[in-house]
Amino acid sequence: MTDYSHVTDDIEAIVEDTELPRRLKDRVYDTIEDREGVTTEQADEIARAVESQYVDTRVDPLEPVGTVSAQSIGEPGTQMTMNTFHYAGVAEIDVTQGLPRLIELVDARKTPDTPMMTVYLEDEYAEDREKAHEVVWALEATKILALGDVSTNVADMLVRIDLNEETLLERWPTVDSAELVAQEIAETIDDKLGVSTRQQGMAIEFGPNEPSYRELLQLVEQLRDIVFKGIEEISRVVIRKEETDAGEEFVLYTEGSAFGDVLDIEGVDATRSTCNNIHEIREELGIEAAREAIINETVDTLREQGLDDVNIRHLMLVADIMTNEGTIESIGRHGISGSKDSVLARAAFEVTVNHLLDAAIHGQSDDLDGIIENVIAGKPIALGTGDVKLRMGSIDSTPADD
Amino acid sequence: MVDASQHELVPDHVLLEDSEIDSVLEEYGLSRTDLPKIKRNDPALPDDATPGDVIKIVRDSRTTDTATSYRLVIE
Repeated sequence: MTDYSHVTDDIEAIVEDTELPRRLKDRVYDTIEDREGVTTEQADEIARAVESQYVDTRVDPLEPVGTVSAQSIGEPGTQMTMNTFHYAGVAEIDVTQGLPRLIELVDARKTPDTPMMTVYLEDEYAEDREKAHEVVWALEATKILALGDVSTNVADMLVRIDLNEETLLERWPTVDSAELVAQEIAETIDDKLGVSTRQQGMAIEFGPNEPSYRELLQLVEQLRDIVFKGIEEISRVVIRKEETDAGEEFVLYTEGSAFGDVLDIEGVDATRSTCNNIHEIREELGIEAAREAIINETVDTLREQGLDDVNIRHLMLVADIMTNEGTIESIGRHGISGSKDSVLARAAFEVTVNHLLDAAIHGQSDDLDGIIENVIAGKPIALGTGDVKLRMGSIDSTPADD
Repeated sequence: MVDASQHELVPDHVLLEDSEIDSVLEEYGLSRTDLPKIKRNDPALPDDATPGDVIKIVRDSRTTDTATSYRLVIE
C-alpha cells in the first residue's frame, strides 16, 4: 500500500477481505500504521475483532428503525431550549434555534421564521474587499432612507430628497458619477409612484398630481418602501473574512433569503452558497439537495444545543422519508402520518374522530397490514420476531450420537 | 439559469438503461413504483429524463464511502 509503510500486502489482503465499509477499513489501516510493527497475525486479530463489532451493530432485519429514530431524536429534543432567538455566533445575525427550529424543519414550513443565506463568492470577489462589497450592494435591499434625507414641504405640497453623494458612489461602484445614479433614482420614483420628479444634482423633488395633504403623506410612505437596488427580501448583509485551506476569503451572511435570485448574481459562487429554507433549495437544486439540506440543518440544530451524540442515521432516515415522494413532506398529520393507507393508523395519530368520520362517509376499509392497526386490533405485529413464521415445537427426541 | 448539478449539495444523477433497471429491481425485490420518486421538473435531473425512467443517485455518504440510491421519475 502506498500511503502506509507498516501495512504489508498480507495485512492489506486480510483487511480488504472483511465486510467492513471503506471508512472503517481505512481506520484499521491508520491504527496499524500508528502502532508500528503489528505482525500479520495481530493484524488478522484486529481486523476480525473490528469486523465482528461492526456486524454486531448493524440493524437486524425487521427492526423498527423508525420507532428507534423517533425516540432517539425525541428524547434529546426534550432537553432543547424553548427560546427562539439567540445570536448565532456567526456574524451577529438572529437565527431561530433549538426546538422551534427543529419543529420548523420537520413541519416543512414554507418559510422559516428567520430566513438566511450563506453566500460564498467567486475568485476575485472572495479575495478583494471592494469586489465583495459590490456583491453586498447587489444583494441588500437599498431603500431611500439609506441614501439620503427625505423632507416634506407642506406649504408647497412637495417631497424633497437630498441624496448623499458619497453613499451613492459607494453603493453604485460601477457607475462613475453620482449624478447618473440620482437620475436613475428619480426615474425609479417616476415609475413606481406615478408622479413626475424634478432632479437637479443631488436633490429630487416631486409632489402629488393634485394638491392633497393626504396624497402627499401617502407618497412619502410609498417612497420608503421602494427598493432602489438589491433584492427586496434581503434586509441585511454581513460580510465576514473566513479562513480556508487555501488562505482567506470573504463570505456573506444575509438576513432574509431569495436563493434563486442570488445564485444568478455575478460574483456569487453558485456551487457552494446555501440558504436555510429547504423549499427554496428544492426548487433551485432539486430533491436530493433538499435531502442533504434537511440532514445538515437538523444536525446543526442539535449540535448547537450540545446534542451531537444523536446518531446521524436517525436524521438521514427522517430526511429520506420527508423527500420520498419527490417533494418535501412534513412529518405529522398534514404530511407523512396523514397519508398512511390505514384508517386506524391515521386515527391513532391525531384528530381521531375526524379520520373515523371521513372513513365512514367514504366507506373505507382497513386491511390491517401495518403495525398500529394490529396493535389496536390486538393481533401480532409484523415486526421483529412477530414477522417470522417460526414455531417452537417438540424436536425429535432421539439423542444425538455423541 | 444556474446549473444545479454543479452545486456541492447535489449528488450525481445518472439515467439508468432498461436492463440496469431490471437488475436493480430484482436485487431489491421491488417494483418501479416502490422506489422513491423524483419530479420531472427537478432541476438536478438529466435533460433527457422522462416520467417512468429510473435515476441512479450516487451520494457521498456520511456513514460509508458512497451510497447508491434510485428514484423513479414522475410527472
